[in-house]
Amino acid sequence: MHYVDEGSGDPVVLLHGNPAWGFLYREFVSPLVRAGYRVIIPDMIGFGLSEKPVREHAHSLDGHSSNLIALLRQLDLDRVAVVCHDWGGPTGLTYALSHQERVRALVIMSTWAWQSPPAEFHTRIFPWRLMHAPLVGPYLLGKHSALAGRGMYLSVVDRERFRQRAQAAYEVALPDPATRLLTWTWPRWIPLDQQARAWRRFQWLEQELSRCKLPALIVWGREDDVFDPATFATRFKQLLPHAEGPHLVTGRHFLQEDSGPEIAARIIEFLSKLGNGRAA
Amino acid sequence: MSSPVSVIDPPDVAGKRMAAVLAEDRIGHYAEFRAFFERTFDLPRIGMSRPGYVAAPSGTIYQFVFIGRSGEPFPAGVEINALVDDLEPLDDALVDTDLWAILRWMISGVGAPWSVQDLDATGRLYRLAAAADPKG
Repeated sequence: MHYVDEGSGDPVVLLHGNPAWGFLYREFVSPLVRAGYRVIIPDMIGFGLSEKPVREHAHSLDGHSSNLIALLRQLDLDRVAVVCHDWGGPTGLTYALSHQERVRALVIMSTWAWQSPPAEFHTRIFPWRLMHAPLVGPYLLGKHSALAGRGMYLSVVDRERFRQRAQAAYEVALPDPATRLLTWTWPRWIPLDQQARAWRRFQWLEQELSRCKLPALIVWGREDDVFDPATFATRFKQLLPHAEGPHLVTGRHFLQEDSGPEIAARIIEFLSKLGNGRAA
Repeated sequence: MSSPVSVIDPPDVAGKRMAAVLAEDRIGHYAEFRAFFERTFDLPRIGMSRPGYVAAPSGTIYQFVFIGRSGEPFPAGVEINALVDDLEPLDDALVDTDLWAILRWMISGVGAPWSVQDLDATGRLYRLAAAADPKG
């Protein structure tokens, strides 16, 4: 597993999802390091500069969560701020909620951590379920890189800026169909009914989140049409009523692309208010 | 609407090679897709004894190799190979168009709530060349 490790101080672990990699957080590193934090940005196995298994059975939600747990245990981190987005949510929150003695705070962006309801977007045949349907997924997301290419492009606000400054960096990290396997495997792990493979893990996540007293910050893209803020940010606020936010920023699902520096500043401000304490 | 993809009897493969063009590890992610292949290729009777074959719009023949995995319903996965003359390179553009036609044929066969119209719309959303001018 590849990861960035910069700076010193209390660690801030920044977690990406599908089909991104650590590049998503490029505008977070300098401000956080300057503010006195150690920044750790893993590339999830299957993405970015990390190893990319080529069989679907190599991937599972618990497997990816345990990959993260292995890294953070190896680094022996304490007082961790876990910043999660997309599949960095279910994996990062699994780490945080099972290692609360090591965690200082949570920052939650455009993700979910419960069985149902899923995002309305994820229940639709067009385009979501068709994108990863049997054989269509390997064709559309594998051969044609639909998610790392046009998919991300459609999921930012300033598309021209994204095309000029970022899109190639996401596409080049998944250079051929075999390396893109996780882009159609992750969608198949989103629970739509009780037969879903991670049904019980999501039940556990929701249960533990509702009991969690860790300081939390909720940041959401105002224009997010995948995990719409009215449904998803509100649900996190219900589960974590003590959380700060939700703060809305310019952004669709990949809000870091449109509002990176603003979100980084918001995180620094939030963490600075925690002082040396651990729990609220 | 008639499909330009048709199931055919096993062809003579002398002088041909099987060029891998698409693979799916989890054909039963949506169970109706597995059911489509079961009935289309008579898999409950044939099992793993021989591959299935289809002829695509270009005239190229594609082989469907169904994959079994212990503890899971059969087929668990499928590999699609193009039958090409043994030393001829693949025509990638042609294969891409054929694969899109095969996907349309599959979706049509799987049936509601899946539809070829939605597949075409998905292809156009992601600006696939093959989806801009769907065959059949």
